Amino acid sequence: MSGSRVDLKVVLLGKEAGGKTSLVERYLHDRFHPNVPYQNTIGAAFGAKKVEVGGINVTMGIWDTAGSERYEAMSRIYYRSARAAIVCFDLTDDTSFDRAKFWVDELLKNEPDCKIYLTGTKYDLIEEEKRPRKVEETKVEEYADEIHCLVYETSSKTGQNIKELFYKIAQDYVEDPKNREPEVDEGIIDSSQPNTKPDKCSC
Amino acid sequence: MSFTSTKKKPKKATFHVDEKELLCKNGCGFYGNVAWQGLCSKCWREATLRQREAQIKSDEKLARQIHEKEEALAWGNRGQRPHAAPNSSTPDDVSGQMGGGFDRFEEKKRQKIQASSRAKQVKSMLSKSIISPNRGETPAQTQPHPNVQRQLSTESREASVRFSDYLKRLSKPMADDLSKSCREFGEKILTVREKISIDEVVEKVQDFYVDITGRIYTHHIYRGLTATQQATIIDNIEKYLMTLHYRELFSPMDTDDEQKDLAIQNRIRKLRWVTADMLGADLEEGNLLVSQLIVKAQTELIEMNAKKAPIDKLGCIVRSSKIIFQILQTSQDAPASADDFLPILIYLILKANPPQLHSNTQFITRFSNPSRLQTGEAGYYFTTLCCAITFVENLDATSLSLSQEEYSDYMSGKIQPPQTVEPICEGLHMMYNNISALEDLRVRQERLMKNAREFSDEMEAWKQRVSSQVEEAITSKPLIKKRYSKQPVNLDHDFGEETKGLPVPMEPQKVN
Repeated sequence: MSGSRVDLKVVLLGKEAGGKTSLVERYLHDRFHPNVPYQNTIGAAFGAKKVEVGGINVTMGIWDTAGSERYEAMSRIYYRSARAAIVCFDLTDDTSFDRAKFWVDELLKNEPDCKIYLTGTKYDLIEEEKRPRKVEETKVEEYADEIHCLVYETSSKTGQNIKELFYKIAQDYVEDPKNREPEVDEGIIDSSQPNTKPDKCSC
Repeated sequence: MSFTSTKKKPKKATFHVDEKELLCKNGCGFYGNVAWQGLCSKCWREATLRQREAQIKSDEKLARQIHEKEEALAWGNRGQRPHAAPNSSTPDDVSGQMGGGFDRFEEKKRQKIQASSRAKQVKSMLSKSIISPNRGETPAQTQPHPNVQRQLSTESREASVRFSDYLKRLSKPMADDLSKSCREFGEKILTVREKISIDEVVEKVQDFYVDITGRIYTHHIYRGLTATQQATIIDNIEKYLMTLHYRELFSPMDTDDEQKDLAIQNRIRKLRWVTADMLGADLEEGNLLVSQLIVKAQTELIEMNAKKAPIDKLGCIVRSSKIIFQILQTSQDAPASADDFLPILIYLILKANPPQLHSNTQFITRFSNPSRLQTGEAGYYFTTLCCAITFVENLDATSLSLSQEEYSDYMSGKIQPPQTVEPICEGLHMMYNNISALEDLRVRQERLMKNAREFSDEMEAWKQRVSSQVEEAITSKPLIKKRYSKQPVNLDHDFGEETKGLPVPMEPQKVN
């Protein structure tokens, strides 16, 4: 894992206990066990995964960050030179959305090249356990319109939208002419890939 | 009397100055000035010029005298005095005394020269015996940079040997090309290092990485290598160059790295009282396994300073981080996240106080291959380490969730942190460790004995089984011995039928 070349740095930002780690865990190892002890969790804060987009392999390095407010000042060191940022907020916690806005502001200010993917986590809690939704869809969409980014609502428990989210990140990376290497052929957009469209695309 | 008094009086009263007194003392007709000793500007300039020339002449004379004296003494010490010595008779005792002083001075100087030349001889003998087998064929190349050889430490030499070993495994054109470009670049660094700032050196090194990477990817001699092989070559080059020039590039004199090292070291020393709880780190320090792992992780962090190449330093950071994840695994069931990881790393830094922390991170930032730092796993852990250091530097009451008073009390040493961990002393702690280790040994030994006994029983049973089987076989199939009678064969016997087709045997014939 450490030896392989990583093309794209994806950084996860979000409040503590906001579901960042579960998101990575679900994506990298396809599992979600809230109560069962994990095996081989070593290195969960960093993960690398290869994705194929239209015949091109993209290796994503996924960086988990500490979300606690006491480390807020250092988050800039983490997202430096990231090409994509998943800004997480807990759909059942309205304060987490305010924190998400903070990171979005930071990213827009310091890393203009970094694409932002606004992600509401723990969707299953609303769907299955009927917990009250604290962050309204319209509010999120309005905000996303303002900052021109995509919105996903995910559940690490059911796996909803998670593969789609990461696939979209890889796809955006490959399609971005800035990242295209000279030897890469034209016409790399593969429309046949299923489920690539996000739940709610505000762009 | 009355005359003088009357003459002085009007002078004082009216402040009248006679015009004669204002004129130049030389009598040239111009006005003089007190600052120029009563001369006019023109006469003053002439006077000073004359004086200065005289001064220069006398200085020259003195200098010549001293020089001659010195020379005479120097020759005198070698047993022969040139003619110049008696000629330069210096009757004044001042120079005579000086001569005595110079004598001793010269003597010392001579001894020094002799000593250093002897040292040089010894050095050159040593260096020849060590270096000539490797570089014997290129004496011209080593000469223009005598300091290159002298600066080679044992590590650097090891690095060169390791690198040349590595190159031997590659094909000949590749090895030649790589060693040539590395050697050229190394010499370039050495020669320009004195003149340019560290930032410019960094630029040169990074440019070199880019160039050599591009060369390996595109040049025809490197065709056919896999991506992993290419990466290993680049890693090895980095390792070799950085180890070789570590002394010039690590914590360079023209930066404030050293001061910052000291500052962070003192800062960490002052923050000794910080506990894992304050940082929000979930640690069971009482747990034997956890405390062992903590020590291991700390050792790795300290070890970083001993490694030379950035890639090896990063290796230490990665190993230390992996141990932290092991620690996390013992205490919690959920997957460890950055939220759990960072506090423990901060706590370990505070406990270990790794030497030259700032210099090390700077060195890695400056001279590591940038692709490694920005995206890969090592880059992640390195970034986290930098975060932890920044946190320590800016740590205040709120980052430990303490009140301002509590914080300043802790800082001034007024109050001590609650001793949640290790209420026992080091010796007792060790004793408990030893007791548990002995207990473990005892259990293992018992298991060993039991297994050994079982094994010996098994052996016995097998032996019996085999012998009984043999017995059975012998009884069921008794050995019957048959006698074979030997029939003598007559070689000269005529086989009759069998030799019919064969030619007649040859008869020896006598030939003259």
